[in-house]
Amino acid sequence: MNFPMEKPLFQFFYWLVNTPGIGSVVIGLLVGAAVTIFFLTLRWIVSAKNESEEALPFPPQH
Amino acid sequence: MQPILTAQDRENLVSPLFKFDRQFWMTIAALLVVTLPGLVLYVRQLFLGLGVTDLNRPVFWGAYLVNFIFLIGISMAGTVISAVLHLLHVEWRRPITRIAESLTVFGLMTAGLQIIMDMGRPDRLINTLLYGRLQAPLMWDIASLTLYLLTASFALYLQLLPDIAFMRDSTPANAPTWRKKLYSTLSLGWRGNKEQWARLEKAITAVSVILIPIGVSLHTVTSWLFSTTVQPGWKSTILGPYFVVGAIYSGMGLLFIAVAFATQYNHHLKGYITDTFYKNLGWIFIVMSFVWFYFTLNETLVVTTEQETLEFPVMAAKLFGEFAPAFWGMNLLMVATTWILIALKLSAKPRKNPLFKTATGVVMTVLAVVTFLALALNFPALSEPFVELGLLIAFIVFFILALLGLTGWFQAHLIPSTVIASAFVLFGMWLERWNILMPTLTHARIIPYTTYFPTVTEIALTISTFGILTLIFVVFYKFFPSVSIWEVEAGRAVEMKNGG
Repeated sequence: MNFPMEKPLFQFFYWLVNTPGIGSVVIGLLVGAAVTIFFLTLRWIVSAKNESEEALPFPPQH
Repeated sequence: MQPILTAQDRENLVSPLFKFDRQFWMTIAALLVVTLPGLVLYVRQLFLGLGVTDLNRPVFWGAYLVNFIFLIGISMAGTVISAVLHLLHVEWRRPITRIAESLTVFGLMTAGLQIIMDMGRPDRLINTLLYGRLQAPLMWDIASLTLYLLTASFALYLQLLPDIAFMRDSTPANAPTWRKKLYSTLSLGWRGNKEQWARLEKAITAVSVILIPIGVSLHTVTSWLFSTTVQPGWKSTILGPYFVVGAIYSGMGLLFIAVAFATQYNHHLKGYITDTFYKNLGWIFIVMSFVWFYFTLNETLVVTTEQETLEFPVMAAKLFGEFAPAFWGMNLLMVATTWILIALKLSAKPRKNPLFKTATGVVMTVLAVVTFLALALNFPALSEPFVELGLLIAFIVFFILALLGLTGWFQAHLIPSTVIASAFVLFGMWLERWNILMPTLTHARIIPYTTYFPTVTEIALTISTFGILTLIFVVFYKFFPSVSIWEVEAGRAVEMKNGG
């Protein structure tokens, strides 16, 4: 059986893995997504408000 | 909620960070002396090119790449200790979490340096991004390494956040203003209210879950740089898990050494990092040593018995050829390590003449090293079959007597023995990486035989790399506490809750 290169999906995969520069675009997307998620997580943590603003030295034990 | 830490605890954990004493400057000076020759020789390499190394076709990867894989491997310590033990709620992990996580970040940073060293023209590094294709395992490695470094740095920062705020609030009045500003900026306004703690704990757990597959992926992808080729000795499906196991094993070794170094540097830390850590992690260390032997045996036995035309010469070079000293040296170091670790778990019996037995053990160790070197250096006068056999038998006897003679000393010295075992693992694992790369590169397909030995430049840069790693470690822990203050408090709270 021949490799199904006539199918658009496989032509897309071929383009994806063989085109110079696409590798760094994927890495850029990964890094960009990771940095954004980390930044948003930090903002989410430090923006937390509480009715009691008592500063705890360690997390409350459940 | 009242703080559990006493004034003495604060003195022990915070005060040393603001004392730039003679010990600190001496350490920095010693590390600079170790590091600088390599940096000078690197500048020379930049001007003269890779001709100053022994790299050439087909040996296009040498000591720099061995260091790269080794450093990627030791970075696994943070993932295993911090993430896995955190998810399993193992309490004794708390004081060493910080050191473990930082080793991951520092290991990856210095691993990245090796790639730059390995490039004759580092200015062309940008080409890997401009023309990189997704089909190339090197691109997968760049992706994996970048993601792992980012996530590990984020995990370290999350874990540091409450302590940075603590430092912001505890900075002595005479501390420099820039330092106060540094803690103030990095603390992001952390106040430590109940909701902040709840969110921080959720984030740490989430990052721990993410770190494990990313860490495993990096070590696997690094192995794919080799196993996706058709080179003899590399095209093996076992290489991925073998790299992961080796990474965990060597990472633990470095963690033991780093923790021992930190406690030796600041004696007060011994009150927080107790023998429990050495004893408990020692069990996992033993398990990892057996798993490592299992993989090594698997790889060696299968290739040796099948005797495939291209594969076997590579294995023969390791078993009884030019790479035999490195191969058997690696195995002997691992055998010695396993024995030391097991001896520490056996109940020590009162011994007669302990000093005599230890002295005998030391003498036997020296004799074992001498006979090993005599065998490894392959002097013509000693290469007669019967002389060689006699030396081999003598070596085995000396080796066994050395281990037996020193067993009592090992049992009486938990921390030094664990550090010795860890150093053996680190050296053994560096040799393992050497044994994976070099026999194949010097017996590559199409070019069946060539030689490689690192030049002065490569050796100096290897030494520099470890100097830089230690330097980053020492400087970082002059600014941030090496034992997580809030983790220690939380651990004590758990103990009090459980009636400890």
